Amino acid sequence: MAAYTLETNGAVCPFPLIDAKNAMEQLTTGDDLIIGFDCTQATDSLPQWAAEAGHDVVAFDRAGEAGWTITVRKGA
Amino acid sequence: MILTGLLIGAALGYVLQRSRFCVTGAFRDIYLSRSTRYFTPFMLAIAIQAVGVAALTSAGVLAPEAAPFAPLAVIGGGLIFGVGIILAGGCATGTYYRAGEGLIGSWVALVFYALFAAVMKFGPLGGFTEAARARTVGSATIQETLGVSVWVPTVVFAGLVAALVVWQVRRNAARSAGRSAVSLPARRTGIGHYLADIPWSPWVGGVLLGLIAILAWVASTAAGRNGGLGITTPSAKIVTFLSTGDVTLVDWSVMLVLGILVGSFIAAKLAGEFRWRVPDASTILRSAGGGVAMGVGAALAGGCTIGNSLVETSLFSYQGWVSLIAIILGTWGAAWFLLVRPQRAAASNRPAPVLTPAA
Repeated sequence: MAAYTLETNGAVCPFPLIDAKNAMEQLTTGDDLIIGFDCTQATDSLPQWAAEAGHDVVAFDRAGEAGWTITVRKGA
Repeated sequence: MILTGLLIGAALGYVLQRSRFCVTGAFRDIYLSRSTRYFTPFMLAIAIQAVGVAALTSAGVLAPEAAPFAPLAVIGGGLIFGVGIILAGGCATGTYYRAGEGLIGSWVALVFYALFAAVMKFGPLGGFTEAARARTVGSATIQETLGVSVWVPTVVFAGLVAALVVWQVRRNAARSAGRSAVSLPARRTGIGHYLADIPWSPWVGGVLLGLIAILAWVASTAAGRNGGLGITTPSAKIVTFLSTGDVTLVDWSVMLVLGILVGSFIAAKLAGEFRWRVPDASTILRSAGGGVAMGVGAALAGGCTIGNSLVETSLFSYQGWVSLIAIILGTWGAAWFLLVRPQRAAASNRPAPVLTPAA
């Protein structure tokens, strides 16, 4: 159950989502992916993707002004 | 009276920021992720506006005039605009409200978009634009071709959209089956929680967008400008006013686009979502190129994702619907070229995501 971080700050949508999907493919079930992002639209698209792809969101919070972090646990 | 433009623009900017409404994303994601999450709410906005404008026209309050149809300019311009908004990462309105959120890349796209819209409308290429848009054919609207009342396409389209909305709501309910997307922890209570804390759903965004579009028709007509929401011409007017000092260019629509910046800034600031965000050099270059394509494309097509895809469509003009399809195809082509192909070739010009073990 490893945890990895993916920093996407500065990348505009849809790149945070594309990078998150690519990163998730490298992980195994139960691993955590901690994604840092500052594209406002990703506050919608990342949790939406997690719900649709069957991953669990174990943490989702703000990280300062216009910054966010979400931890997605890879589903089966 | 042109100050009502500022208020309506601010309401528009506020709604778009809170609902994360992105028309570029709506078009792009039909292809990229087979998702109509934002596309159907956008269709709903067109339907609401179509019903409202048809009713107010019947009541004699409005007298909208659909643009004559110049197929080559509309198709060519729509395709160029579609490519431009993928490059810039947002359509004209999207670029305005993201600029209000503090994205420097959006400011770059905005400046080049407004500049090239001015070049194409009031500048050295004005003659070319005029000649291209003068090559018109047949009737301007679907109801003119069919020889029926505007209510016929309005009712048919509203029915189709209603069916689409019901289908999407049901499918979402079936798919999520208890799993819903996780949301951010609350920071405000009471009314502030709804106004400046939780993001608004795409449905709320679509309904409010449709209502604001109707209000825009009424307020703009009262201010002596027969038109609804519009982004490209006022952007070109701002540039031309700043370089010539011709104050007659500053009209209701100029107030409207400035209002979008103000409204989105207020929404972002209240929600703790404003920050000056500086992108890397390649994003800035892409934004600049996208802005140029947006300005050229929108001037040729006679409108952007708002002027054509939201407003002209609600009048059931060929310009509105043909350019909507052309813009969508442009975004798909550019999305394949810039987002899908580099992935497949594993030779993206962006560095691969770097993963580091967390402490």
